Amino acid sequence: MNRRSTPATLALYATLAFGALVMLLPLAWMLLTSLKTYPEILRNPAPWLPARPQWGNYSAVLAGFAYYRFFLNSVFVAVMVIAGTILTCCPAAYAFAFYDVKHKDLIFGALLATLMLPAQVTVIPLFKAFATLHWVNTYLPLIVPSWLGGNVFGIFLLRQFFRTIPRSFIEAARLDGASEWAILWRLVVPMSLPAVLTVAVFTFLWSWNDLFNPLVYLQSESLGTLPVGLLYFIARAEQLTGGSIGQVPWHLVMALATVMVTPVIVLFAFVQRRFVEGVAASGVKG
Amino acid sequence: MFSRLRVMLLWTPALLLAGLGFWWAGHNREPASRPGQVDISWYVLITPLREVYEAQVAEFERLHPGVKVHIFWVPGSEFNVKLKTLAAAHQVPDLFFTGDVWLSYLLPFTRDLTPLVKRDAAEIGLDDFFPEIQRAMQLNGKYYILPEYANLSLLYYNRGMFAAAHQPEPTGDWTWADLVHAGRALTHAGADGATPVWGAARVEGWWGEWLIYVRQAGGKVFTPDGHRCLLDSPAAVAGLKFYLEKSTRHRISAPAGFEPINGFVNQRVAMVVGGHTNYWLNYNQVPGLDWDIQLLPAGPAGRSGGELAIAGYSISRDCRHPEETWALVKYLTRREAIAEVVRHGHLAVRRSVAAAVMNAPGTHAHPQNLAAAYRQFEFSEPIPHHPNYIEIMFQVVQPEVDRMLLGELTPEETGRRAATAVNEFLATFDPPAP
Amino acid sequence: MNRRRAELFWFCLFAGPALLGFVAFNLWPMLDSLWLSFCQYEVIAPPRFIGLQNYRYLFTYDPSFWPSVKVTLVFTAVQVPLAIGAALALALLLNQPVRGRGFWRAVYFLPSILPQAAFAVVFGYIFQADGGLLNRGLALFGVPGTAWTTSPTWALPVLIVISLWGFGYPMVIFLAALQDVPRELYEAAHIDGAGAWARFRHVTLPLISPIIFFNVVMGVISALKVFDLAYAFSVAQAQPTPGGPARATLFYGLNLYEQAFGYFHMGLASAMAWLLFAFILVITFINFRAGRRWVHYGD
Repeated sequence: MNRRSTPATLALYATLAFGALVMLLPLAWMLLTSLKTYPEILRNPAPWLPARPQWGNYSAVLAGFAYYRFFLNSVFVAVMVIAGTILTCCPAAYAFAFYDVKHKDLIFGALLATLMLPAQVTVIPLFKAFATLHWVNTYLPLIVPSWLGGNVFGIFLLRQFFRTIPRSFIEAARLDGASEWAILWRLVVPMSLPAVLTVAVFTFLWSWNDLFNPLVYLQSESLGTLPVGLLYFIARAEQLTGGSIGQVPWHLVMALATVMVTPVIVLFAFVQRRFVEGVAASGVKG
Repeated sequence: MFSRLRVMLLWTPALLLAGLGFWWAGHNREPASRPGQVDISWYVLITPLREVYEAQVAEFERLHPGVKVHIFWVPGSEFNVKLKTLAAAHQVPDLFFTGDVWLSYLLPFTRDLTPLVKRDAAEIGLDDFFPEIQRAMQLNGKYYILPEYANLSLLYYNRGMFAAAHQPEPTGDWTWADLVHAGRALTHAGADGATPVWGAARVEGWWGEWLIYVRQAGGKVFTPDGHRCLLDSPAAVAGLKFYLEKSTRHRISAPAGFEPINGFVNQRVAMVVGGHTNYWLNYNQVPGLDWDIQLLPAGPAGRSGGELAIAGYSISRDCRHPEETWALVKYLTRREAIAEVVRHGHLAVRRSVAAAVMNAPGTHAHPQNLAAAYRQFEFSEPIPHHPNYIEIMFQVVQPEVDRMLLGELTPEETGRRAATAVNEFLATFDPPAP
Repeated sequence: MNRRRAELFWFCLFAGPALLGFVAFNLWPMLDSLWLSFCQYEVIAPPRFIGLQNYRYLFTYDPSFWPSVKVTLVFTAVQVPLAIGAALALALLLNQPVRGRGFWRAVYFLPSILPQAAFAVVFGYIFQADGGLLNRGLALFGVPGTAWTTSPTWALPVLIVISLWGFGYPMVIFLAALQDVPRELYEAAHIDGAGAWARFRHVTLPLISPIIFFNVVMGVISALKVFDLAYAFSVAQAQPTPGGPARATLFYGLNLYEQAFGYFHMGLASAMAWLLFAFILVITFINFRAGRRWVHYGD
């Protein structure tokens, strides 16, 4: 390892710190704005810091405007989608990793190719079909695909990981009389917990952040998830202030945005190491 | 054996939970109904009238025990899109707020109200609606909408600026030439020589003003059957030309990009042609703005051509309780309800309400010449009834008009290009004849 | 034999749901959408075959098609190199012996996983003309600000800047690849007297070229599909029709959504979707062909 002169090290850390500051600035401004009063928002320019942090803004937006409902809707959809993904992607990945079936690689290739298929291609026929089933305005269009292995990326990631498990382990378990189902859930999945966790987190992010599908399928305001709820809130505020965005209650909007990003940040804080390594692995091996 | 039991113990609750989740995800979200209760879903735009509606519904439910009205508030920008999405998903609400502008677009799931209107003509006071309003309630001779308020194009002017320029105020027999003449007298470089004051604004970005000129010059957007665009006709081009030349030749309007309503409020323009009656409330909140209205100036083919648009209520074709919903519609458009809406600054659709307002001096500060608004009715017509009118005008025609204002196209080219593009659009999207 | 049959049985059981999902939610909709792209389909009435009319209209008359193509291509051409460059630069920095590498990596990665809708809203407020954070910051240096979000010139650059906060994915992938580069190679190069740039150019770059390639392909595909960011930005800016001002941010995905669920031209939107899909396939293919020339797959 070569010696570094102090100025170079200093410059390195200064660059990193400055970049980190820039990266986090929007989040900081969001948080600060969410703690201001409406008069402070309307003042031009608004003060840098709230005179006194208004934590009440959060209860105002969650309880007062009943946005706790959007939060719960988002949680519900995410939980169902994660459950479906894990329950169907693990067996599928296991099947593709350990069974020798004719044309297996071809089938897997076709599955993988759907990663390139833009959602815009499938959304219209799916909307048509879901409308016929009377599923529009329910959560089923958001949930059901994940119960049918909708997360192809998850299958791919799990399969990559499963394949690192020596076959002899599986053969040994089979000789012990364990069923395939038991081998999957009692042996393979526990051995691959980091990968399963990565897939679960990916699925959570995908579901929690998704704007497109809720926008298409959830028409009633009361069913909305947080991303659509946030946009409804702004559109409604604009309506009531005569379309002037200068008067939008930004403190409440930012409180809602904070409610939306906080679970992601908290989750990330817990799993960031594993998750980032999972992301890195997906690229390096893929 | 023991392990199998454990597996069962683990998976059974998990499956039950998942089942519960699916039930919750997919169960019918229609509001819970008590036996014998009539539920009406009402889909309505979020406007400053929100409290008025809520009060009316409370009163209606008190008068009709057993009826429960569920209001769905929707922001304006999404309103008609969401309604059509619901239609595509076979979930149209029983009652929805709409207007004649949207009628053709929403027609496939809008209920024909003719039998009900004819049956209850006396009760609703059909003749109390202005004749022009009655026409706007219909399409092809059938009634689809009961109106709540209306918008129509007018000439707006700033009385103070006319007085300062020693110009006589606009009269009901004005023509385009008078508009140009007064406009020139009112236009000047501004007190500091740097913020010019314009005689007339130009409404840009939508059809609000230029369609008036096209129609007053004798032009039309579509053939009567709606299958061909006529914006390339000499008359329509003459209208577009006047619209353009307000700034290029007569120099009574600012070049493209000037915001007309702000300009009027800030007293930097003296006149607005067309405008919108929804702005009355805003104008009256501006201190020192002494404004009034007059009939639109007449064009080469006459005075007719201003827009009249109604906003009101339609019932869906699949409505579950047509009689009860119809009762609610009648309740929302009865005389007292219209009077309440007019108190909030809207234009009356009922003659009795209009008369009461005009005969009660002091109830309204501006506009003083309220009579002009009701006289303008007879020179107004609805926008063309075409299912894709809004889209065609915004997405296909307006870009060409914008380019004309930027000097990239002549009025002739604008008319020709717009007509060609619209005809291509119609060839691609025109719904097949039933 | 028996074993084979058993494997087939378990394969069908385990992969069955995913294969069913593949058919129901990908294969069938894909083919149906191809069919719809040759139809006039306005939802209210059943689809009606009109041949190539949708495609013809898109290419020759549709006033929003080419503007949306242009916006998307400009965005892709500017955003992808910037994001990949930033990601690589940061990965190189973090590959130095720094303390708390995990911490820095987490901080730089975090914005990438936050909801784009929230980001678009927060940035809309930051870029506001009156009292927005950016204009206030510029004022501190005496630079006059402008109305960033309502200017047809600046709106797209603003969205590009916002999207740059999401370079975390390529960054961590680069970082992992850099850490796989054997130290001895650098040391050998160092002994040979290669400077920092020469080491990067001749050791690092060839070794991570497959990763650059992978990141470029992924970056291009996701840039071509932008929707959430553009839609949320439009709503947060109270634009009368999404994609404003003056179609400056009318991304292809947004235009497609508007055609499908704003105007219910489902046939036309299907044609747009297929053009996008075909374009992605072609771009990916070209990328692979071009990649062969400069990507160094060492073993």
